[in-house]
Amino acid sequence: MNSALPEMLQCVQTSENIAGNGTDMTVLERQRGRLKWQQQQLQSQQLQQSYFNENQLNLFSLSQTQHYQDLMNNDSAFRELANQSMKVDPDLENGWPNFTKYPIPRTGFCGEMKGFVSSGLQTDALEMDYSISRTSSCPPAEAVAMAGDEKGIESVLTEKLASTVGRDSFKKRKADKAQNPKVIVAGDVKVKKIKGDAEEVESKITEQNNSSNNRETSADTSKENSKVTEVQKPDYIHVRARRGQATDSHSLAERVRREKISERMKYLQDLVPGCNKITGKAGMLEEIINYVQSLQRQVEFLSMKLATVNPRLEFNIENFFAKELFSACPDSFPSVGMPSEIVNPAYLQFNPAQQVVSCGLDMAVNSSDMGLRRTNSSPVPVPETFLDSSSFTQAQLSTIWETDLQNIYNVEFHQGRSSAFPSQAFTGSMEANNLKMEM
Amino acid sequence: MGARSSFKLEFLKKWALGLKICSSLAKDMSFLERKKAIKLSADVAMASARDGTTCWSRALIANASKQDDKKIIVRTMLGSEFKKITKSSSSGSFKPEKRVRSKKILRRSCAITRIRKTATKRVLACSIAKRLVKKRTQVLKGIVPGGESMDEVSLLEETLDYILSLQAQVDVMRGFANTQVLSNPK
Repeated sequence: MNSALPEMLQCVQTSENIAGNGTDMTVLERQRGRLKWQQQQLQSQQLQQSYFNENQLNLFSLSQTQHYQDLMNNDSAFRELANQSMKVDPDLENGWPNFTKYPIPRTGFCGEMKGFVSSGLQTDALEMDYSISRTSSCPPAEAVAMAGDEKGIESVLTEKLASTVGRDSFKKRKADKAQNPKVIVAGDVKVKKIKGDAEEVESKITEQNNSSNNRETSADTSKENSKVTEVQKPDYIHVRARRGQATDSHSLAERVRREKISERMKYLQDLVPGCNKITGKAGMLEEIINYVQSLQRQVEFLSMKLATVNPRLEFNIENFFAKELFSACPDSFPSVGMPSEIVNPAYLQFNPAQQVVSCGLDMAVNSSDMGLRRTNSSPVPVPETFLDSSSFTQAQLSTIWETDLQNIYNVEFHQGRSSAFPSQAFTGSMEANNLKMEM
Repeated sequence: MGARSSFKLEFLKKWALGLKICSSLAKDMSFLERKKAIKLSADVAMASARDGTTCWSRALIANASKQDDKKIIVRTMLGSEFKKITKSSSSGSFKPEKRVRSKKILRRSCAITRIRKTATKRVLACSIAKRLVKKRTQVLKGIVPGGESMDEVSLLEETLDYILSLQAQVDVMRGFANTQVLSNPK
């Protein structure tokens, strides 16, 4: 009996172990699968995100017509891709417990903010969520940005507006109800004009109603005719009432306005992290408000931090050049500890740089390109000296950095090494070596 | 990537200019003064990097130049653009605030009596949702500079642009702060 008991116990334990291992394996496998997917997504995402962000900025820095065109381009594509991406990744929503493992692209700000938050803030957690959920929300953007090529404005607008605003109207056209005004987009529609359109639409639609009552036959031919005529008057958008809805001029204008608003909300949804699941204006507005407030608070904190660091508001301009590199580069870096690691090599560059007499600001600003090329050379030998901590990531970073900088500035590193800064850079690296030895 | 980094570059330049101006204007500032100067120059730099194309940037600059002590800094920073920007900003937009406030009170009193009569759940939910949305748009209008004088559509557009610029500003400032911390270890 006594001997049987321990045997039994052993059997039970082993069976438990097996069972435990079994569950572990499945969990592990799931996690691995998720990790791989995430990594793939993240790697593609940095490009996407940066492109997407650029595209977003392009929306506003281009002229107004292109602005509207891009908006229209992105909108319908967004929806399609959002649907696709939701199917692709149903598992992501379950992946929240794992998110701390995943590298955070582009913003490292959770790591940063934790160091500097003084007053009790919940923004820490918020920002973690923001930065991480941002990664999950961006995949659809890439193909959108790719799709947003420059087409003819008119064709694009007709295409997109027709698809977005008047999807149901296709049914109507086939049903051949000539009583209602048609969906026509005039070329060269500007955003400001469209805003004024909302008021003009009423009057124009009443006109259209009167005129369309007269022509009851063959909506198609008359539509083509009016298309031709309307192209010459780009001041208003014609809206078709959908089936089963009021044909008031007021309600039509309302609908146009509502659709514009929902379009903008969709863009905001893509911009503000963590808003994928929130449907409805109220929730979205809440998130937007929180995000804007958190960004403003961050600016406050950073300005406080800068005020503590510098007792007299003296900032070296040479720092700006290297700073510039960071602002350009980090957008595409995957690792979490990235800011500190990138900054380390640049730090060495500062020491010699600070000894240089700071040139006049105008000169500095104009010679930013020069400065960039100069700084390209120096960081390259430097990362190799920091072999103490995280050597693997350093090597990775330096290779990534090299390729990235090459892409951005089209300067060959080997050529760059022979530029004007070598002596100072090497003294910098010598200092680093000495420091290392002492440590 | 190109547009974003060019925005950051421009922001950085203008911010550097602003900081120089601030430091030249007043030596030995207290901590709070320094912080305000930094923030002010950062905000104005961000706004001027937009070159007056957006409503919020104009409003930001207009607000900043209301106070005399800030006005000098803003003026010197912007130089010739200052007049152009302040001209294009509309100033006849303070009435909507008051109108909204009195309307709110009226509506609330009406809505309460209305709700008690039509107590179906759906209507209640709709009205609550509408009120929430209205409240929040008001809050958003308060946050985004110059938001008071915008209708909903343009408010959302401006918010979008404002968020993008804020993100760029935060990125640049954070990176800069990191470099500063490392270069002045104290």
